[in-house]
Amino acid sequence: MDLTFSVQDEAFRARFRAWLEEAMAEYKEVMRAGGGNPLEQSRVWQAKLYEAGYLGMAWPRAYGGQEASLTEQVIVSEELARAKAPGTINTIGLTIAGPTIVQHGTEAQKQRFLPKILTAEELWCQGFSEPGAGSDLPALRTRAELKDDHFVVNGQKVWTSGAFFSNWCALLVRTDPSAPKRKGITYLLCDMKSPGIEVRPLRNAGGGSHFCEVFFDDVKIPRENMVGELHGGWQIARSTLEHERSGLSGVIALEGNLERLWQLASTIQRGDHKAIDEVMVRHQLVQMWFEKEGLRYLGFRNLSAQISGSGAGVSGSLGKLVNSQLRQKMASLGLEIAGPLASVAKKSPHVLDRGRWQAGYFDALGYSIGGGTSEIMHNAIAEGVLGLPHSADQ
Amino acid sequence: MDFELSEEQNLIRDVAARFLEDNWSSDIRRKGLDEPPATIPSELWSEIAAMGWLGISVGEDVGGGAQDMLSAAILAEAAGAALLPGPLISTMAAVTALDRSGNQSLRNAHIRALIQGDKRATLAVEEANGCWGPDRVEARAVLASDGSGTLTGTKILVPDGDGADLFLVAARLPDGLGLIAIAGDAPGLSVTPMRRMDGQAVVEVQLDGVPFDENAILASTDGDAERVLREAYDFWSVLLAADLLGISSAVLEITTEYAKERVQFGRPIGSFQAVSHKLADNLVDVEIGRSLLYGACLALDEEAPDREVLVSAAKAYLSDTAVSVSESGLQLHGGIGYTWELDIHLYLRQARCNAASLGDAAHHRERAATYLADSFG
Ligand SMILES: Cc1cc2nc3c(=O)[nH]c(=O)nc-3n(C[C@H](O)[C@H](O)[C@H](O)COP(=O)(O)OP(=O)(O)OC[C@H]3O[C@@H](n4cnc5c(N)ncnc54)[C@H](O)[C@@H]3O)c2cc1C
Repeated sequence: MDLTFSVQDEAFRARFRAWLEEAMAEYKEVMRAGGGNPLEQSRVWQAKLYEAGYLGMAWPRAYGGQEASLTEQVIVSEELARAKAPGTINTIGLTIAGPTIVQHGTEAQKQRFLPKILTAEELWCQGFSEPGAGSDLPALRTRAELKDDHFVVNGQKVWTSGAFFSNWCALLVRTDPSAPKRKGITYLLCDMKSPGIEVRPLRNAGGGSHFCEVFFDDVKIPRENMVGELHGGWQIARSTLEHERSGLSGVIALEGNLERLWQLASTIQRGDHKAIDEVMVRHQLVQMWFEKEGLRYLGFRNLSAQISGSGAGVSGSLGKLVNSQLRQKMASLGLEIAGPLASVAKKSPHVLDRGRWQAGYFDALGYSIGGGTSEIMHNAIAEGVLGLPHSADQ
Repeated sequence: MDFELSEEQNLIRDVAARFLEDNWSSDIRRKGLDEPPATIPSELWSEIAAMGWLGISVGEDVGGGAQDMLSAAILAEAAGAALLPGPLISTMAAVTALDRSGNQSLRNAHIRALIQGDKRATLAVEEANGCWGPDRVEARAVLASDGSGTLTGTKILVPDGDGADLFLVAARLPDGLGLIAIAGDAPGLSVTPMRRMDGQAVVEVQLDGVPFDENAILASTDGDAERVLREAYDFWSVLLAADLLGISSAVLEITTEYAKERVQFGRPIGSFQAVSHKLADNLVDVEIGRSLLYGACLALDEEAPDREVLVSAAKAYLSDTAVSVSESGLQLHGGIGYTWELDIHLYLRQARCNAASLGDAAHHRERAATYLADSFG
């Protein structure tokens, strides 16, 4: 048992770290010079990563990827987090649509779509959830009829993150209403500029507008934009839902949150002492650190199992559940530590740290809903890992 | 990058589980709750020694298995799952301390006989002061200029102390803390039986001016006795954490099987989410705890700077986990879970006792807080 990387891997890390330091300094110059809106800035950053060969680490070279080893993939995400590098913008493209196309797409689809996902020239959203189909995703009803060489789509999607700025959408539609619900679904790639699409941003509980409703009115999608078989979309969607639940990279973000929380508790004065001097505060922070470390070592177990192919990994649902719970516990503790100032609105001059703790709290609440709710993760663990009987008729 | 059990370790785990299934029974523990306490019979102890368990992580030159800390933890986990009493764990901790300390004469004098099961050693650290661990040790060792000394104090909750040949006693030395090896028949040493809630025999050790020689102090090669004591306590804590992991996964398995079979309202109770989600939470705790344990074992072997905080993480996390998994195991069995006949209360008893041994969760959180204050400060 060891957690060391090979000499080659460490050389790779050193190269990447050196590159990253320089690239971030340059990028900060551009930002300081006021280069474009936030979206444009992110594109600039992502293009930098791409051109230097540090994006699409797992994807085939033929489509702009790196075909890097698993350890190199981990090193890149570790170093990006450690350096507090700007995020990549095209999350859905990079983690959902892209891997789906890599795995199941046609040659033409791969050539057409993959490189532009990497460069963020084309941004993606995921049109899965509907008003009547969330946890029970296979109940989706957005209808697509195949007419000659194209589909005609009618219906509605909801909670579609980033739909208003996206160029493309990974879309699940019902193509055979008479088949059992999992057997009549098809996976399409939809151009968001197609006539008949209407996007309406929804305000979320935290006040931001990130997810949207998307309406489809006789929207035409060419048949060549179908991924996999007709009516075979459910299996494809399932295989990439698991891509969403990566282990190690999420943990590093938690480390940063925890450090900020500890520092907050060490600065907040409560009468004659600091918040950190209170056992309740201190022990909660320590317990969260334990859980974070547990997730980190769990990530190493999973990575090793992936490398060796032993199949001894632990279900991704488990990591997703712990990660979202932990984010929420941290966010709540942030408000508790803030004490009376937790109640102060962002616009008020008395606000602490420009309202980051309040914003972080609302932000964290979405983690146990998006990407499958915590209840659904519990079902997946109970049924998929422990082998308990199904809780509902499926 | 290899953070999985090796093939050899998988084998150790499987062999240990099978051996304990064939040679030990929870019934012995149940009977041991009424007088007299359950102990490991000497024939079984000899077999355990013959399989190389006691010296699994001890150097080859003295007949040990030269395996890493995790291999010892795997045995401790199997012991917990099988409800084997504590002497396996205290012995592995004591011989590891002897092995890794720099005191070659003590090591050579005792280790072979200990790992062959011919002699028995244990660790005596805790005192009746409401705390745990080396920091609060008050037993006092006085040293004369000729290197002779005397040791005075009282130790409690010492496992395997009845008939032990060697006590490794934590004491305050003139220049810090340390472990002193005291023979079981030393003058001034007396042993009074104590008993744990899980029926295990422990003892109180009275040390009344017990004579010793300075060569009996377990010091590192550079003369650091305190470090050896702290490390010994950490070895022991991590093995106890492994025992707690064994308890947790055994109870989870038993309860999961029951939830698949027991039918109420025409359905297996495991199809009710109040039941299945509780079990899923239990599994989350077991897997996070297991990951922490592996991390702590590796850190101890590598003498990593974060080894203490990782040991604390594993011990705290698995203490809480073993108690909560056992409690929900009892609850989810319904009436039968509350009976003397079912093993769940035996697990719960051992979980409660071991959770309160070698530092409870709060003790270890506090120790970790000191470390984190440094690293975040
Ligand atoms: C921040 C955010 C971003 C999102 N982004 C996207 C996106 O980009 N694209 C997209 O397609 N979707 C997206 N979603 C939607 C998300 O996937 C769904 O909200 C989620 O799957 C839950 O579906 P629902 O909202 O219909 O809730 P429901 O399924 O109606 O659930 C309501 C409640 O019932 C519980 N419940 C439901 N079924 C069960 C069951 N079998 N057992 C126990 N409890 C159950 C749920 O856990 C929940 O608490 C996003 C959601 C959020 C919050």
